[in-house]
Amino acid sequence: MGEVEETTDPAALIEAYYDAGWTDGLPVVPPSDASIAATLAAAGLRGDEVLGAIPGRNAIVLAEKAAINAVMAGCRPEYMPVVVAAVKALCAPAFAYHGPAGSTGGSAMALVVNGPIARRLGINSGNNAFGQGHRPNATIGRAVRLIMMNVLNTRPGLLDRATLGNPGKYSFCFAEHEEDHPWEPLHVSRGLAPSDSAVTLIASNSLYQVYNQLAAEPEPLLYCFADVLASVGAPNLLGYDETLIVFAGEHQEVLQKAGWSRLDVQRFLMEHTRRPVADYKRGARLAGEITADDRTTLRYRFERPEDILIVFAGGRAGSWSACLPGWGNKWTRAVTTRIEVPGGDP
Amino acid sequence: MKLFDPTSGPVERALTLAPRPASPRGLRLGLVDNTKFNARPILEKLAERLGRRHRMTVTVRNRKRSASHEIDGDAIKALRAQCELVISGVGD
Repeated sequence: MGEVEETTDPAALIEAYYDAGWTDGLPVVPPSDASIAATLAAAGLRGDEVLGAIPGRNAIVLAEKAAINAVMAGCRPEYMPVVVAAVKALCAPAFAYHGPAGSTGGSAMALVVNGPIARRLGINSGNNAFGQGHRPNATIGRAVRLIMMNVLNTRPGLLDRATLGNPGKYSFCFAEHEEDHPWEPLHVSRGLAPSDSAVTLIASNSLYQVYNQLAAEPEPLLYCFADVLASVGAPNLLGYDETLIVFAGEHQEVLQKAGWSRLDVQRFLMEHTRRPVADYKRGARLAGEITADDRTTLRYRFERPEDILIVFAGGRAGSWSACLPGWGNKWTRAVTTRIEVPGGDP
Repeated sequence: MKLFDPTSGPVERALTLAPRPASPRGLRLGLVDNTKFNARPILEKLAERLGRRHRMTVTVRNRKRSASHEIDGDAIKALRAQCELVISGVGD
């Protein structure tokens, strides 16, 4: 199983993983034959199975390597099916891995987990959903990043060319709050069954928290999101974007009380996420001199309602929600994959 | 206790390089635009200079689906059949 050397001192072993350049900067959990076997078994995998490939990098992800990295990240064996689904999403042609993984934009690979497995594993969808304190949130996202570094050769300064990167590159995984959900949860909106478990991967190079304590109706509330997403410095102007929007408790209530549907929200945001071309030219985001027409010609940032992914998560109290603009242009898509648990999710 | 290697290198495969032209003069040129903002102007400027200096002519202009995607198989066939020199890899 890829044995390299032997040592009896656990601290020395952790240091050995550092010395080999195999960590993300944090100490790793040294794997054992037993922990690797248990991790593979929890996902019903043999070590030599191929989970996915990135053709442009001549890279494949073997289950054994994914399991080693998952253990190193601190995952319990039962987290492995989520890690596997996330790896399949990374390798999906629609995700076009090389761009979001290698770009100067330094995207986090945000993972949204839906379905019964999120509750069974205790993946946090509530207070501090993006923050610290929950093992599956911290370690599943970390496992995905370690696999990117160690198996898909996406190392900082080499094939990861992030200018600044962001803290979400260590780990970014949370669950959708599906209880008292006003609509169908994200994975169902993307074609899966409510009884399915799924992970949705979206590459995002920033996380912008949106505050509004006064809005009692959807329009003023959503206008704040549209303004953020249309800002002159927002990442992408050349292709139509995707974005992830995370509504937390108080903002969820505003939408719920008004009876707005997912499509209502998406359409409003499509219509209002726009600015005059002159603004983008003034900020040198579009080339050329400002013409008279530019002051009245609007440039829209979204092409289709479904490009605006919406989930509910976070604490029930507080006037905060978040926008996570998608990396790149329309050729890199968020991907949702079903999480397969051997024998089904108990 | 053992150390387990979490890495795997690229899958190796045999590659055969095209024969190197003896001279740059009169080569047929392929341009692969990776869709980045300045890719096309830079490629066209290069082609113009190569044309002036070495009498190269552009025979294939390809625009990739996006900078993130590999060039597609049909485009590679066209470049192989119609070019001796291909320029790609332009960033922004």
